[in-house]
Amino acid sequence: MREFNIVLAGVGGQGILLAAEVLGTAAIKEGLNVQVSEIHGMAQRGGAVVSHVRIGEKAMSATILEGHANVLLGFEPIETLRNLKFASEKTTVIMNEERITPPELTAKQIKYPSMEEIMEKIHCFTKKVIVLDAARLAKKAGNILTENVVLIGALAAAEKLPLKNSSIIEALRELVPAKHLNVNVKAFKFGYETVKKGQD
Amino acid sequence: MSNSHVLLKDSLGKKVLLLGNEAIARGILEAGISVVTTYPGTPASEIGDSISEIAKDTGLYMEYSTNEIVATEVAAGAANCGIRALTAMKHVGLNVAADLVMTLAYAGVRGGYVIVTADDPECYSSQNEQDNRYYALLSSLPCLEPSNAQEAKDMTISAIEISEKLELPVLLRTTTRVSHTRGPVTYGRTIKPHLKGEFIRDVKRFVMVPAHSRPKHSVLLKKFEMAKEVSENSPYNKIVQNGKSMEIALISSSSAYNYAVEAADMLGLDVSILKLGMTHPLPEKMIGKFLKKHAKAIVVEELEPYLEMQIKAIAKDYAPNIEIYGKMSKPCFPREGEFSTRIVATGLAEITGKKVSIDFGKIDEKYAEVTKDLPRRPPILCAGCPHRASFYVIRKVAGERALYSTDIGCYALGIAPPLNVGDIMTCMGASIGTAEGISKATNANTFAIIGDSTFFHAGIPGLINAVYNNHKIVVAVLDNLATAMTGHQPHPGTGMTGMRSPTEKISIEKVAEGCGVRFVKVVDPFNVKEAETVLKEALRFDGPSVIVFRAPCTLIVVRERRRKGAELLACKINEKCTDCMACIKVLGCPALIVEEGKVGINEALCSACGLCVSVCPYKAIECVKIR
Repeated sequence: MREFNIVLAGVGGQGILLAAEVLGTAAIKEGLNVQVSEIHGMAQRGGAVVSHVRIGEKAMSATILEGHANVLLGFEPIETLRNLKFASEKTTVIMNEERITPPELTAKQIKYPSMEEIMEKIHCFTKKVIVLDAARLAKKAGNILTENVVLIGALAAAEKLPLKNSSIIEALRELVPAKHLNVNVKAFKFGYETVKKGQD
Repeated sequence: MSNSHVLLKDSLGKKVLLLGNEAIARGILEAGISVVTTYPGTPASEIGDSISEIAKDTGLYMEYSTNEIVATEVAAGAANCGIRALTAMKHVGLNVAADLVMTLAYAGVRGGYVIVTADDPECYSSQNEQDNRYYALLSSLPCLEPSNAQEAKDMTISAIEISEKLELPVLLRTTTRVSHTRGPVTYGRTIKPHLKGEFIRDVKRFVMVPAHSRPKHSVLLKKFEMAKEVSENSPYNKIVQNGKSMEIALISSSSAYNYAVEAADMLGLDVSILKLGMTHPLPEKMIGKFLKKHAKAIVVEELEPYLEMQIKAIAKDYAPNIEIYGKMSKPCFPREGEFSTRIVATGLAEITGKKVSIDFGKIDEKYAEVTKDLPRRPPILCAGCPHRASFYVIRKVAGERALYSTDIGCYALGIAPPLNVGDIMTCMGASIGTAEGISKATNANTFAIIGDSTFFHAGIPGLINAVYNNHKIVVAVLDNLATAMTGHQPHPGTGMTGMRSPTEKISIEKVAEGCGVRFVKVVDPFNVKEAETVLKEALRFDGPSVIVFRAPCTLIVVRERRRKGAELLACKINEKCTDCMACIKVLGCPALIVEEGKVGINEALCSACGLCVSVCPYKAIECVKIR
């Protein structure tokens, strides 16, 4: 494999940039080349946020080519749809089912699309879809704010990710405050186990 | 912060994952730069912020200056005492600093001095996407362009060395993708900062009266000739690959280089590649010789045809028959927006007649179908943002017919419905002067909406002008006690410096009074009734008025509450709610939601600012403890 490409997509405030940094740090720990792109500034809170993580010797540019994501890690359903152009039939979509209603829908009092509609759209690109309730797992781990780490756990269970769980946990140790480490490790495990169980 | 900071790690020779901007900060430590100044601006902010976090531990001096020209003055002043210095800013900041920079080039500097300009192709967080390499051309200053985090660090050090060799400031130009991409960086040794300098008088060199400036222009041109030699020998200008057929020459720099390499690889092109890292002055001889060996040259660069224009001039002398593709006479790449591997591959395929193996058209078609009715999710004012309260009051009192000249900051998001405050916005501080012109021309109630940090940055001369020329405008200073949009940096009104030391708080209201404004009031925007009364008075006042709407940024408030373990509050809808949608229609708060026709509140987002409580006609919303 030349490279492993991950698109992380969601809403500002969901911890997407931290999740991307954890993956990048884990890659460095394994001696792999990595590029992690971020967009800061205007989209600090409430706006659509996307980060690309590219792992592999030949990864030079910061962004992933359309149709070339190995995994699309969706923190929110609408934002998952917004980034489908990076997916192909080979892509695994891992999606958090928690909906964050865009203000435009609230203002116009339009309903959030149903899960059936969302799945149908994802299926136009790929049939490999894993949906999980990261909020529930994060709460179970002890802190709703660890949804991002639940999703990293889910990603770790995906096929061919060139990162060991131990490296990701090491990266967490480095990047989250010590007093929150245990909750984060739990969140990681819950995400990982949920996907593993689904695959069996 | 302690020594656990990533930039202070004892990781000599090891690879560390750093953001491009953090890599520049590490370069600052490895170059022994002792004075760092900045005005925050995306995508440059993390350079100054990283240094601010570690300044006290390292012994270097750092400051958030009032604006970019002041930042440049401070650092260049120190550099002229023989100290190594750096100033970081976003691309449009260099417009502010340009007056100084253009003449500083004549006098030059004694200690190494680097100006980092972070450009923003695609305007991710900016009002334009100007290509600041033209400033290098305009000022005759050398310019380096990194393409990744490692180079960002290395070039910071090289820029200091070049600056000292030529006694000229050096521009280090990044783009959003360089500044905001994390990549592996190998650490080198740091040099202890050296803050003690000496100013040696040299009036003919440093006092730019006409008689001194004229000869200094010649000096600059001589230095420019030396800079060309530096560029010819620069390790950053290199042929990274020779093609087999030697037919096509590919020339590129910065982020565009990464796309070019990946795109050429994807298409299986047989090309020679010249990577340019020092892009001003260009290595003429090197480029000339490279062109001579090929039949075609393709210049791959984001934004302006800056390289292409010069390469065409070089080709006239060295290889007049070569065909040059880029954005000018043989346009294959767009001159606007950010590049991608796709854009570059498409352009390269067009030139070479190769086929792209990916059917982008099909992906686009499918994507368009899937996202046809997908709601947008633009950035919005946070739940609990005090600006929402200010806008609500302003809109309620002044209405549709008033005109709103707004400014650069979070409050630019006031243009979104239902608030709809913001009719014109251009650059930092322009709200006030623009409002004056509009008021003169229309006689309408005219507002200037400006943030606290922006007021200090460039608002004050406009305010003085309002008093001096008696423009009847209302200046609404939305003071949230931080430079919020770029990451809550301190500013002159916060009582905190970049060194994290307490300092004098400069009062916006006293500044306004000192400028001669006779109507100056401070209000709490969440106290809706009082704010309305004051606003009405201001509109009746015959002359310029200033209202400071003061309440801290909600993100800071919530973070503080969490840190202290204080009770978290949220608003709650009670049984009196009639689902009249008044709150939904006028506030546009993301914490207010509608499900199955019923108004609800997202507890996780709500910070209990209480604005919806004030707005509700049925007293159907109250604040409660949630934990």
